[in-house]
Amino acid sequence: MAGASMKDIKLRIRSVESTMQITKAMQLVATSKLRRAKERMENSKPYATVSREALMAAVARCKDQNVPFVTPRPVKKRLYVVIAGERGLAGGYNSNVFKAVAAHCGDTPFCVLPLGRKAIEKYHRMGVELLSEDYSRVENLSVSRCYRLAHLVTDGYLAGKFDEVWLVSTNFRSMMSQEIKTEQLLPVPSAEEEAPRNVDTVYEMEAAEALEKVMPDFLAGRLYSALCDSFVSEVAARRMAMDSATKNAGAMISDLTLRYNRARQGAITQEITEIVAGAEE
Amino acid sequence: MAAYHLQIVTPDRMVFDGQAERLIVRTVNGDVCILARHIDYAAPLGIGVARVTDEKGDTRVAACSGGMLSVSKGEARLIATTFEWADEIDAERAAHAQQAAEEKLRAMQKDDVDYALAEAKLKRALIRQLAKG
Repeated sequence: MAGASMKDIKLRIRSVESTMQITKAMQLVATSKLRRAKERMENSKPYATVSREALMAAVARCKDQNVPFVTPRPVKKRLYVVIAGERGLAGGYNSNVFKAVAAHCGDTPFCVLPLGRKAIEKYHRMGVELLSEDYSRVENLSVSRCYRLAHLVTDGYLAGKFDEVWLVSTNFRSMMSQEIKTEQLLPVPSAEEEAPRNVDTVYEMEAAEALEKVMPDFLAGRLYSALCDSFVSEVAARRMAMDSATKNAGAMISDLTLRYNRARQGAITQEITEIVAGAEE
Repeated sequence: MAAYHLQIVTPDRMVFDGQAERLIVRTVNGDVCILARHIDYAAPLGIGVARVTDEKGDTRVAACSGGMLSVSKGEARLIATTFEWADEIDAERAAHAQQAAEEKLRAMQKDDVDYALAEAKLKRALIRQLAKG
């Protein structure tokens, strides 16, 4: 009996060991991807800040006019641009994003533009209307693809397919913490702290018209930077998850080894007792 | 000549951040030249060749398309969709893109949804080659 349990334990040790190998490999892959992804994220930051300032200035200028990208209209339907990962095994990375969407949407009908295979699968299963299913790869999504994406959003918005556009992405704060960010893209929310309205600015075109022209460009830049940010978060989350998985596997192995040795010791003791008992007879 | 602070950004990187004497860039209404102490200004960009003269007086040429130019409080910001210095441009690739776009345009009707897109592609390819010189 002790022999059988020894064999069981040995099998379990082996299976945990092979799992540990996989988690360890995934951790290493995540670590090496992280550096490049972080670099990309850093590079995308300046555009995001600079274009935001310019956008806010233009929005403040045409506040009282009726501009489709700025003036809110009654919300019949919302669009969520959801950025999730391509694969699982990244801790709560994917599920946190989906939870944020579910918490935010309330009763308003919505459609989704999913980015990342996990998001596509999730909303496909839920039977939600999807704007496009072409964006399953988040890693290395090029700027030009983002432009196509942005045009998809602005065209749909102008055609009245949806009345509000929200972006749900993950913000990379540090290796340890990533936070979910839900922000409104369209209509552009006017800044809380009133930007100084610089009336002296000479506009080549009417501000409203200019805004209409550059909105897809800015949106593309915003999406690109959100994608970079989310991808870094995904990789960081995966690294953390795999790190603790590897540690857990190590702990399990040492626990199982202890049990194995005890079982072995027990078997030997029993054998000796049997032999001694046999000799005494 | 007096210099001013110029920033050129594209979504994937900061292309230029420093002092410049002069910037010539194509807006939707034609070329504009920004010198120091320019009035506050904003314009959407077209597709064209851009020229940046830095504080030492060296001029660099680039292909620039899309986005917006804004000048405020004496600082200029070029928020471009694409901005490539001439020495970064792959002439062969641009020529290739030109051919592909031309073929596409020939096969299309004028009212096709992708017509404007292909047209913009062709324009970009031509400008790239022009900037390359």
